[in-house]
Parts: sequence; structure tokens; C-alpha cells
Amino acid sequence: MRSATLPVLFLSLLALPVAAQSPLDELDSEDLVEGERLFRVHCARCHGIDGAGGEGSNLARSRLKYAPDDEALIELIGEGIPGTGMPAIWTLDADQALRVAGYVRTLGRLEEEEMPGDPLRGAEIYHAAGGCPACHIVDGAGIGIGPELTDVGDRRGVEYLRQSLIAPADAQSQTMGYQDYLTVRLQTAVGRIEGLRINEDEFSVQVRDMSGVVHSFRKDELREYEKVFSHSLMPGYGAVLSQQDVDDVVSYMMSLRSED
Amino acid sequence: MRKLNSIAALTTVLIATPAVADVSYERLVNASSEPQSWLTYSGTFRSERYSPLEQVNTENVADLKVIWAYQMQAPTHAGAGLVETTPLVADGVMYITEPPSTVTALDVRTGKRLWTWSPEMPEDVLHIGFPMVNRGVALLDDAVYVGTLDAHLVALDAATGAVRWDVEVADNKIGFALTLAPLAIDGKIIVGVSGAEAGVRGFVDAYDSATGERMWRFYTIPAPGEPGSETWQGDAWQTGGGSTWLTGSFDPELDLLYWTVGNPAPDWNGDLRPGDNLYSCSIIALDPDTGELRWHFQFTPHDTHDWDANQIPVLFDAEWHGEERKIVALANRNAFYYLLDRETGEFLHGNEYSKQTWAAGLDENGRPIVLPDTEPTYEGNLVWPSLQGATNWFSPSYNPETQQFFVATRLMGAIYYKADVEYEEGQPFLGGGGQALSGDDASGAIRALDVLTGRQQWEFMLHSPPWAGVMATAGGLVFGGSNEGNVFALDAATGKPLWDFQAGGAVRTNPMAYAHDGKQRIVTTAGSTLFVFGLE
Repeated sequence: MRSATLPVLFLSLLALPVAAQSPLDELDSEDLVEGERLFRVHCARCHGIDGAGGEGSNLARSRLKYAPDDEALIELIGEGIPGTGMPAIWTLDADQALRVAGYVRTLGRLEEEEMPGDPLRGAEIYHAAGGCPACHIVDGAGIGIGPELTDVGDRRGVEYLRQSLIAPADAQSQTMGYQDYLTVRLQTAVGRIEGLRINEDEFSVQVRDMSGVVHSFRKDELREYEKVFSHSLMPGYGAVLSQQDVDDVVSYMMSLRSED
Repeated sequence: MRKLNSIAALTTVLIATPAVADVSYERLVNASSEPQSWLTYSGTFRSERYSPLEQVNTENVADLKVIWAYQMQAPTHAGAGLVETTPLVADGVMYITEPPSTVTALDVRTGKRLWTWSPEMPEDVLHIGFPMVNRGVALLDDAVYVGTLDAHLVALDAATGAVRWDVEVADNKIGFALTLAPLAIDGKIIVGVSGAEAGVRGFVDAYDSATGERMWRFYTIPAPGEPGSETWQGDAWQTGGGSTWLTGSFDPELDLLYWTVGNPAPDWNGDLRPGDNLYSCSIIALDPDTGELRWHFQFTPHDTHDWDANQIPVLFDAEWHGEERKIVALANRNAFYYLLDRETGEFLHGNEYSKQTWAAGLDENGRPIVLPDTEPTYEGNLVWPSLQGATNWFSPSYNPETQQFFVATRLMGAIYYKADVEYEEGQPFLGGGGQALSGDDASGAIRALDVLTGRQQWEFMLHSPPWAGVMATAGGLVFGGSNEGNVFALDAATGKPLWDFQAGGAVRTNPMAYAHDGKQRIVTTAGSTLFVFGLE
């Protein structure tokens, strides 16, 4: 498996400096300031003043579900997304839509950061001493209990990655305000289960336990249901790995990028 | 003889399957005496959203199942996916709207479509500050009335969906739209408008039900010299907002129309419009024959949080301090519950029914005692409730038998921002924005209040702040729905859930009930599907 990962890693590293052509490349800083102003007028009511979501989705991330590339982002501002609350914004002309798109892209853009360590050594630690594939998938390999890391380098910077290794409970992501991978503890008639919340509604909760098995419960069948917000089922690696090891693993994470 | 027989047979057939509504004004006035029908948006002119049907009750509701479902047609406009319609049922036909402004008639027995009508609507129809929704139709005599997103009011033949008349209520190019279900009264169709987020000047209109001729218009933002204009400065009134986007209530005996008014514009920057900004965030009582204002009550003077008062005014009569009073109750977006004398507008009572951090309470006249540092700022300011309010357009319900008031409540705060803004025609005119606390930091509840004291009797917690209303029934039940796709029935006495169904899409409408062939039906929508539930 390691031999399969390394060529991908090299490709990712090579791909880093290559920038794809985008209509947004032409925008200058004044355009982006105007884009921010237009965003506040047209978009902030649903997506929040800082784009972090509200009634609308969180736009402050590098990959948007309905806008895999900049062309798609510009198009959906003009045309809306059928079957969702996202309307066509007809009040923006083409130049304005371009500026808004440019500003939206800045919300989720990570500053290019220097790797603090050696990504190749980090990859070895990830697969061997760290035992990370027991809970994470990279390029299809591993077990998906925690978040998939195939393109984590697109989304996360050095500090977040370091914190997620040393103190995972302090580096929890959210989707629409809901904590991802929330630890839940349930007491059923037959026993106790600790796991990750997959989904929840008024009457039921779905949980993945640490062996990857999915459980579904009616809430009225549970004797106890606890959401543990300041906790992560991922162990902290601060005591297990040296400072250098952590920096190397962080560098490996940074190298995991989508191809564009 | 044979001829007579065949006429008799024909008559029988016609009676058996009328499939044509003929909803007289008298039927609307007496709507509660025909619980098998649902003739107007909130069920009755008193807007109780209460079904006297009791076949489905606390004993058997656990056996409720889907009888039929109707899947909405693909919307003609991107972004028009949300379904907020309350179906009306009369004489064997269900009349619904589909987003953005389509009207469809369904056979109540099977859900099969009888006819459908869609307006021609411009691709670039404006809907600034709200989704492309429609909340339903009005019925009067043999016509169906619908407001459209591009701000037309259209009368359709109830039997075929053919257009009888079509009038432009206002100009969509400057932000006006109709999303509400019209209210039909004696020979008149009453509508209000959306558009405060585009800086329109709101109004309530009455149209002749037969011809579409406009009979009167009441502007919710007074012009200079008119009563209330002293609460505005300069030209701010011209773009002052005050939209009227939710169906009102009607008292035929007092001959008074009760309508609610939305936020002043711009929403979050109050510096541009000093003063109380009447009649924004108010309830107004209008003479239905002339549109003349009889009284008003402003819930949130000089609102800067987008707390429209567009909630359902519920009319009831009760003894109040030893005196029989005609009362209007309203659970407001600003988190206070109000009782007013509906003859005079006198404030009788108010109390907080949901978490709020902006007022110390209400004074003896019902005016909020506003706390310092609760206005939006350039840096952002956390205030409860959120801009979507402690509740919103979705309906409360009142059970007159038990004097309980049920309200779907949003437990959510928001960080409010102020921004500089200048009015531009047909553009958003907001002056800021909000960042609502969401996900695990927000929740919701169905709450039961004693109608006279506003005191909470019980609550049923929801996973997230709801966008769906409630309906109480004589079967001792309260029906509701959630964003997570649950449709449920609660025991009205305790709030305990007695039945639930995962419908697979967010519920964003108000439940209603009807009966056909002696069988009670409960109706709601989830996602883009309308569900009809029954015992058999």
C-alpha cells in the first residue's frame, strides 16, 4: 500500500504550483472589495455576513458542492440551483457576478504555507507508527471512521492540522453548524455504546461505533443519550509522536491535494 | 318517463361527484360548521387552524398511515423548490399551489390531478429577501384566487383552471411580489405584498372578486401629513418597507380586517430612518369596505432586527378581568406573545414565550423596554432571537375547547451586522446582515401556551429551528413537522409524541385536515411531496 501511495504523493507535489486557468484570474484587489460589497448586499442574508452559512450553506471552504470549479460558481450565481433555496441572482450583471465569485473563492482559500517537515517521512509515520489508516481513508485505502483525508491539504492549514493531531477535540469541523464526527454515548436496554453521530432527527439517531458498525436507535428506546461536544474519539498524538514526527505527518497531510 | 328517469340519474351523479367548488361567503363565515372542508388559509376567519374532526384521536393516532401522496411538478424557475402551501378542500377537490406560482386541483379521494395552471412568469422575476414560494389560494363562489411571484392577482375558474381575470397588483421590477394566500371575504379578495428587502412601500389591497377591479389600497407607510407620518423623517417613508406578506384574519361581526405588517427598510441600519417607523412591525385593523385604518398596535418600534410582525393573528373571545372581551392573540417574531382587544387595539397582556435578549420586558402599553447595546453594529452583535425570529410566518394553532395556543418556536440567536447602504431601485436594501447561530447551537420547540396568560404548559423539543406550523384537532392532538423530515402528532394535553413519520424531506408548511367519505384526513408537505394521512 505504501508503494501505491508514494507516486500519488509525488504527483500531488508536482501539481502544487500549477494554477488552472480561471476567469477569476483577471480580478484585482479592487474587484474583490467590490465583490465583498455585493456579497453583503445579495448573498449575506442567507449565507451570513462572512459567508460561513446560515439558512444558506457555508461558502468559506475551498470546495463547494455545487461549484467544483470557478466556471460552475459563476454559472450558479446567475442561474441558481434547482430544487434548493439558491435562486438565480438576476440583479447582478456578468461583471458583478464575476466579482462576487472571486470574493466567494477568497473565503475558502488557504494561504500557501511552507511545510514544517518531511512529507515522505510523514507518510511512513501515517501508515506505520501512527496507525492512521485504521480510521481514515486516503485515496481509497483505509477504514472510514473519521474524516476522509484524500484532499485534506486543500482544506486545512498547518495550525489546524497540527492541532488535530495533538488535541483533536479542539479541532472539530462543522457542517451547517453541526459538529462533524460528534462523539455520542448511548445507554440502551442491552448496553452502552460510544460512537460518532452520523445523523439525527426528532425521533431517531444513527451512530457509527469504533468498529465501523452503524447503529440506528429510536430516541424513546434510549435510557441515556449524551452528546459530548468537547471530546474527540481520535486519540491525541502529542504524547506518542515527537515534535518532528508531528511536523512530518502535518506535511504529509498538506501534500494530500486534489489534482487541480 | 324515461327522460325524467335519466335526468334524475344525472342529478344523482352530479351530487355524488360535484368536483366543483361553490364556496359562498356564508360558507366562509360558518367554516367551522363544516369540518370536512378547509375553506380558507387558516381554516376559519378567526385563523385558529383548528380542526373539529375527532375521528383521529389520542387513542388511534398511532395507526395513522399514508393514504396517498402527490409529487409536485418540477419548478419552472431555479431556486423554486420550497413548498409552503396550505391546501384548501371544498366539495371533493383539493386546491394547492406549487412553487413558484402554479395552482393545481386534485381529487381528494385519490390525489389525481384535475387541472393545473401556471402563469407566464419572467425568467428574471425579482424576489429579494425571500425564496420563490407560494402559500396557497383563496376560494370564493366558483373561483380560485392566487397571488403570483411577479405580483399579479389571478382569478381562475374553479372547475377548469381557466383564467377569469388577471390584474397586476404592483411592479415586480421594483421588488413587489405576492407569496401569501389571498383572503376572500364578502365579494372582495384581500392581498398584501412582499418586498421590504427591496425598499418598497407596503400596502394592503382589496379587489372586486367578480371583476378584479381594485376597491381600495391602504399604504402601511404613511405619506407626509397622514397620521403616523410623524414617526418618519425626510423621504425615508418612500422606501420604508412594511410589507404585508401573510394572510390576515377577519371578524364579520365587528366588520374588521386584521392584517400584519413587516419590517421597515432598510432592515438592519436604522440610522437611515429615525423614528418609530409606523406601521412597520405592527398589526392594523382595517375597515373592509374602505380600507380605512381603525386602530394599530406596533409590536417592535424602530425595528433593526428584521422582526416582521407577519404572523397569524388569532381571534378569540374570553372573559378578561371579569369582562367579556373580543381578543386577538399573536406570538410575535420578536419573542413576545401579545393579547390585544380587537375592537380597540388596547394592549391587554404580553409575555416572553421564547428566549430573547433585546428587551427587559414590555411596559404597561405593550411597548418593549429595549436593552442597551442590542442594535446591529459594524462589528456584529449577538442577540436572541435570530433574524428569522422566535417564530415566523408558519401558523400557530388555537384549540377553543381547551383554550390552548400552540406555537412552533425557533430557539436561535444571531450576530447582527450593520452596513452602509443606499437605495437603488430593484436592488436589495438591507443595510447589514445576520449570522445565525445554527446546527448544534440552535434548536426548536413546539410550545403549548395558556391562551390568556401566555404561560407555557409544555414543550416538545425539535432538533433544529422549525419552518413548519402546527394544527390542533378535536381529537386531542397537535400535528407538526420538522426540518429533519419528521411529521408528528403530539398529545395536546402533555406534548408527548404519539405518532411520527419520516417523510424524507424538510417539512415547511402548515398541516390541515379534511374528511371525505366520512374519513378524516391530515395533510402536510415534505420536500416536494404532499402527503395525505388517514386511519384507513
